[in-house]
Amino acid sequence: MRRFIVRRLALAVLTLAGMSVVIFVLLRLAPGNIVDLLFQSAGYVDPAEKQRITHELLLDRPVAVQYVQWVRQLAGGDLGTSYRYGLPAWQIIRPRIPVTVELGVLALAVAIGLGLPSGVVSAARQHTALDYGLRIVSLAGLSMPAFWLGMLIILVLVRVFGWIPPMLYVAPQADLRGHLLQFLFPALAAGYRSAALINRMTRSSMLEVLREDYVRTGWAKGLPGRAVVYRHALRNALLPIVTVLGTEFAFLIGGLIVTETVFNLPGVARYLVEAILWRDYPVVQNLVMFIAIVVVLSNLAVDILYARLDPRIRYT
Amino acid sequence: MAGRMLRWGLGALVASALAAPSAWGAAAAPRHGGVLNAMHREDPPSLSIHEESTISTNWPMMSCYNNLVLFNPLRGQESAATIIGELATAWRWQDGGRSLAFTLRRGVRWHDGQPFTSKDVKYTFDLVREAPGIGARLRLNPRKQWYAQVQAIDAPDPYTVVFRLKRPQPSFLLLLASGYSPIYPAHIPPAELRTRCVGTGPFKLKEYRPGELIEMVRNPDYFVKDRPYLDGIRFIIIKERGTRIAALQAGRLDVIMPQEGTKTAAEQLKKAVPSMVIFQTSQNINDNILVNFKRPPFTDARVRRAMSLAIDRRGYIQAVRQGGAVPGASMLPRPWGVWGLPASELATLPGTGDPARQRAEARQLLSEAGFGPGHPLRVVVSTRAIALYVDMATYVIDQLKQIGVDATLEQVESAQWFAKLTRGDYELGANLTGIGVDDPDANFYENYVCGSPRNYSQYCNPEVDRMIDAQSQMPDPVQRTRLVAEIQKRLEIDGARPILAWDIDYYAMWPYVHNLVPHQSVYSYARFQEVWIDR
Repeated sequence: MRRFIVRRLALAVLTLAGMSVVIFVLLRLAPGNIVDLLFQSAGYVDPAEKQRITHELLLDRPVAVQYVQWVRQLAGGDLGTSYRYGLPAWQIIRPRIPVTVELGVLALAVAIGLGLPSGVVSAARQHTALDYGLRIVSLAGLSMPAFWLGMLIILVLVRVFGWIPPMLYVAPQADLRGHLLQFLFPALAAGYRSAALINRMTRSSMLEVLREDYVRTGWAKGLPGRAVVYRHALRNALLPIVTVLGTEFAFLIGGLIVTETVFNLPGVARYLVEAILWRDYPVVQNLVMFIAIVVVLSNLAVDILYARLDPRIRYT
Repeated sequence: MAGRMLRWGLGALVASALAAPSAWGAAAAPRHGGVLNAMHREDPPSLSIHEESTISTNWPMMSCYNNLVLFNPLRGQESAATIIGELATAWRWQDGGRSLAFTLRRGVRWHDGQPFTSKDVKYTFDLVREAPGIGARLRLNPRKQWYAQVQAIDAPDPYTVVFRLKRPQPSFLLLLASGYSPIYPAHIPPAELRTRCVGTGPFKLKEYRPGELIEMVRNPDYFVKDRPYLDGIRFIIIKERGTRIAALQAGRLDVIMPQEGTKTAAEQLKKAVPSMVIFQTSQNINDNILVNFKRPPFTDARVRRAMSLAIDRRGYIQAVRQGGAVPGASMLPRPWGVWGLPASELATLPGTGDPARQRAEARQLLSEAGFGPGHPLRVVVSTRAIALYVDMATYVIDQLKQIGVDATLEQVESAQWFAKLTRGDYELGANLTGIGVDDPDANFYENYVCGSPRNYSQYCNPEVDRMIDAQSQMPDPVQRTRLVAEIQKRLEIDGARPILAWDIDYYAMWPYVHNLVPHQSVYSYARFQEVWIDR
């Protein structure tokens, strides 16, 4: 197992190195840079001043030199300075990470809490009204974009209750109830789609397992239904679900942009869009690397979980 | 002094209902205390007002600074008659309008405790006009042109400043009264003011959390006794427009941000919260068409005129702006603006008459220029890849097609837009232009004179330039108004930058907010010194 983890970690480093090149190049392929945008917001262009600022920000150096400098800084734990705010990138990114991670975890909790039991029920009660109802709800979740659902929640709240969650971040230590209330609706909005996916995956996986011989044997020897479904069937149906969970968590972390924007949460995802729009290279590069690390690590976690769930799997 | 101001300014011309203080603002006795939650749509590009040209900077940062003079925050229409002193207690024109002397307020301190003197005033405007030997430099300097007539600034003693001009310029005082003309501290490098604020204003910067909040707190040492009324202001940054309006409706915000109130949003708010107060005012921003004068066939006056005739302005206002705009020429129309053409004169300009007849005339002109069904004129309409701009360009394309022009749309990334315009790398452009001050000098020198960096059409008419110079020096407001009207008509007839409409701002606030009076220009009323709340 240890050898497997070390090998996967080494592969992860290679993957991240490749990602760093892709991020760096793609960012520079986008038209314009921070200097263009500064002038755009000031509403004029002065070529001489533009050249001077480009030089000040070291953007006139060859791309390869800029890349090497970034990697060197990154290796030394220095995330650089935000072009936009003139502050260390880490100072801007750091307070946003817990917000996004918390929202991602809560959204995943919502997804598991809703998706897993409803998927099991749907499979166990196949072709009943309950099954059809749950399938309709899950289809709606897969079809509905998170931003639309988020906006719908906001509009319903303001129209029916004349209330919406706080627009400024409420720290848990300052007001736990307010904090949870602030995260409840965005977690529902972001988690609904994943819940629908997990429901579909659980249902199909369970249906497959429920037709296995050992399940039929369980029924035949008179085991209680709950024991058959949850102890024997669900455990064996979990493998593909765990795979989905891993990718969904990574997707949630990177895909919370619209949810954070609609609910005005000061997270990483929302800030990433802002940084991209301003071509704030140090911030974008480091944030995307952060998301890439989350994806790589969650995939690794899923692989490790496989062995726990399925004793037939051996790591070499 | 009042008599001189009237002579040099335009006070007599601007009496209107807009110039009166708001009814509720004057009704009750002001109360101290409370924190105002104000809407903000985005992070400002920086906190330095002199380096930016966006309301996103002025709106939160104006409350940190003071000007020498300012347009009265309680009067809706800015003009020479509404200018009041801030850091200046008195001012007088000298040498036949070639010098403007200010007497400064004593005992004023910067937020860091340093005393304010004439040195700071001289430094600020030497910095902005890039006077030789100043040393410091602004990273971006979008309003350098405003101070082109300043020959020198003298500070003979700590409480006197004299601006010496190359020639008389009555509008100079109005430029100084804009929210874009704060006084900066001479002892703080300008680069630092991009991320923090050291002013003399009624509020100090408490905290800036990028993407989240700009928080101001009452300046207890403010030089105006008993002001400000508020304990603080929170500018809450909300990126999503739907959420912003919902937050206002739910009471998470007390006031909207200038430029953010659309007609549709205002109607929704009023329906949901009947007590919500909504001002209908202008933004001093116009929607216009840039015609590249250096690119054939737009070198031909007949083609330019045909383009302008083809676009039905009233149809544009209904179709694109849902009625939330008004027609006008190059200066802000009345009743909000001081210099706008009267309706009778506007009706004679291209694009304002009967659409069918104007299109027929446009086709005739194109035919004379050699274009017709067998040889259609093909043009590319460029615009920024932003919904508002694309809507405008799409309408223009539709109108041009109705006179047989084969027009196509080119969407340009925002980052490239002004660079593209500056290079003259376009044929037709659908554009928005914001004017800092409702004043002919601020507008004409920036957008229409030969060689101006922001004259993106590259329109150049020496005769019009002479008229612009002449109006700029005119002491008599009546004569000047007449000449400004002539210039406006000339610009529209020449197709210098055909104006499609002037946008209306639907400024919304809860009824417990008092003394926040929107002006006809969005850039100059965010001092918040007089604002109070009785929630």
